[in-house]
Amino acid sequence: MTALGAPGFPERAIRARARNGTAEVFPDPTTYGTQLYGPRTGTPAADELDRARIVPPVFMPQRLEKLIDLAREPEFTDVELGSRIGGFTSRLPLYLSAFGSTRAGSGDLAVHAGRQAARLGIPMVIGENMIPVHGYRRAGDATRSALLARVEAYLDAAPDGAGGVVVQQSTEDADSEVWNLLYSDPAFRPLLESGRLAFELKTGQGAKPGLGGMTVVDRAEAEQLARRFTVRKVLDPDGERQLRCATPGTFTDEILRQQLRFMRNNFPKARTWVKFHPGRDIAHAARTAWSAGADAVTVDGAEGGTGWAPGVFLDHVGLPLAACLRRIGRPDGCLLASGGMWEGGRAVRALALGATAVGLGRAALVAVDEDPEHGLERLVDSIALELRLLISALGKYGVTALDPEDLWWPDGHPSHPERTADLTGATP
Amino acid sequence: MDNAHPTGAPATPPPLGEHLRSPRLRAAMLVQQEALHAARAFLRGEGFTELLPPLVGPVTDPGGRGAKALDVDYYGHPYKLMTSAILYKQASLRGFPRLFYVAPNVRVEPEETAGTGRHLVEFHQIDVEIADGSREDAQEIAAGLLTHVTEHVWTAVPEILTELGRIEGDFADVRAGKYDVRTHDDAVARLLAAGHPQNPDGEIDWAGERILSLESDRPFFVNDYPKGSRGFYDREDPERPGVLRNFDLIAPHGYGELVSGSEREADYATIVTRMRESGENPAKYAWYLKEAREGMPASAGFGMGLQRLVRFLTGLDALWQVSAYPKLPGVVAP
Repeated sequence: MTALGAPGFPERAIRARARNGTAEVFPDPTTYGTQLYGPRTGTPAADELDRARIVPPVFMPQRLEKLIDLAREPEFTDVELGSRIGGFTSRLPLYLSAFGSTRAGSGDLAVHAGRQAARLGIPMVIGENMIPVHGYRRAGDATRSALLARVEAYLDAAPDGAGGVVVQQSTEDADSEVWNLLYSDPAFRPLLESGRLAFELKTGQGAKPGLGGMTVVDRAEAEQLARRFTVRKVLDPDGERQLRCATPGTFTDEILRQQLRFMRNNFPKARTWVKFHPGRDIAHAARTAWSAGADAVTVDGAEGGTGWAPGVFLDHVGLPLAACLRRIGRPDGCLLASGGMWEGGRAVRALALGATAVGLGRAALVAVDEDPEHGLERLVDSIALELRLLISALGKYGVTALDPEDLWWPDGHPSHPERTADLTGATP
Repeated sequence: MDNAHPTGAPATPPPLGEHLRSPRLRAAMLVQQEALHAARAFLRGEGFTELLPPLVGPVTDPGGRGAKALDVDYYGHPYKLMTSAILYKQASLRGFPRLFYVAPNVRVEPEETAGTGRHLVEFHQIDVEIADGSREDAQEIAAGLLTHVTEHVWTAVPEILTELGRIEGDFADVRAGKYDVRTHDDAVARLLAAGHPQNPDGEIDWAGERILSLESDRPFFVNDYPKGSRGFYDREDPERPGVLRNFDLIAPHGYGELVSGSEREADYATIVTRMRESGENPAKYAWYLKEAREGMPASAGFGMGLQRLVRFLTGLDALWQVSAYPKLPGVVAP
């Protein structure tokens, strides 16, 4: 365990899950028989998605179907969590989100997270700016890059036929030709040949919608990166620590369509993913991406991101994940959601609102920080158990059976999706 | 890697010394020499000036289909070996309104192209650009060039071609200047009807191109590729958004693509937007965009693959057989 912290995130609960796994789904068993339990009060202020209650019906025709199929009463262990995520086969409706090039997200923790994600049979997304910042094996340079280390760790541990690796590219990555380098690298051949490589066009992230990636670098690093990035002395007058900014890239619907087409034409053996920040026109953007052939659209809600972001952005900018999902409504393709995911309840809510799978970012980092060998596996085991308990309670036995009707908002939000014109006035 | 070449030739060259001593390579080089001589004579006769192309630059043609450029360290700046000198060709129009290069190119092609018989990492192209030219002007020069070169080679070294198994009658249409024209849409429809799964949004794939080429007895142009299948510099048809004013010239009898060309986009704002559409950062292209902002002439032009041209003339199976120093995709060679 290192000094990694995640203020504002239920870090203690995640660390407990990383240590104790599925036991943390229940109250402390040693108190059984001596304490009485009711709804917990004083839980951290929930965001809009967490405020929705998960509401099982009384009558359950889908449970009857399952009963007929099984010739016995169905149990929560009968819930099938296997999913198709962006063209990959995944054992769970979960994936490991990108961590970006921040110090917390690009060192050994990321390698440990990748290895455990592989063992779990879930896809792993590798973040932007890895190559422009950390380099790559080029022109005789025998140094193993951070990116290759993660891919090798994943490949060593992945079961046959499950999971996949997704590599993001943003503007600065495009300058470094990340996808081009990887597509022809022999190290990636096993992924390509087994159909387990995707490229994700990154147009934004939840923590700082409308901005590019930001990291803190020391003076020496700042000088080294100044040619590829904007570096600003806004953190202290002497520039001991400096802010490194990537550009967000410019998109219109036509630019997005053409970039996706370009990806498919140039890298026909790789799947095509797109990640959006929680913009007000998210529904139009997602539909544009699906109609241009994207295998997956990732929406990173305002709660998302591991990243270093200006406080005003963390507090005030971007649509919450719930609002993104409601605007998108019934998805035209595979929809992936991230933003504050760490336990089964929030995941079920996102899945009920149309997501095919949810991404673990900060929670995964905290879990591997707690236990580099098995922390993420235990955290995911606990989430998987909760998913099975919740989905079976709804009288359903597969992830895709979840539906907006499974949710109820106490403050009167419609549980059915709005699919109105986006507030930009940009209609399809 | 699959060792069997689709046409039956060995997939990889012998050791370099053995290759250089082979009578077949000697024959091919004699044909190449005549072809280059005829190409230069034809283009000079049409009022073109030959320039020598640059080898390295801050950027090169961003290319497509997974091919990439090699990096070189240029006084601490990451430079590229030219995959194509197209950007320099356009810039040169300001001083040379009709120009051509015999340009060396380096493209690190994806390994799966090693078996097509039609890809080398190092190759040359006869690169032509015409200020204020239209697609039709470029096609007329491309067709004239192929016709003239074929005529010259059959006149100058008929015995070499005959010895290589070429039949003069097969070249009658080329020498008579008979070319067909079809659209990308037609080509896609034809391939789909033949059961070939051609992506309608992309370039015609290798297998598809071979099918179309085998079906035909005379060379033919394919016009109007969809936007997104080619580089940012191919001009979009203002009358038909999504359709490019470009073309390929395909040789008959299975020899496939010889030429790619287009009308070029010369409007500064459109070039920048098109760069974004292909995922490029315009900042990389600063020198080129400066030229465009100052007013690069509208133009049309094309590149004719020299080794592909010689392969078509000689009838040999693979490009490595018509290259003195062949480098196959994915194969490390001297």
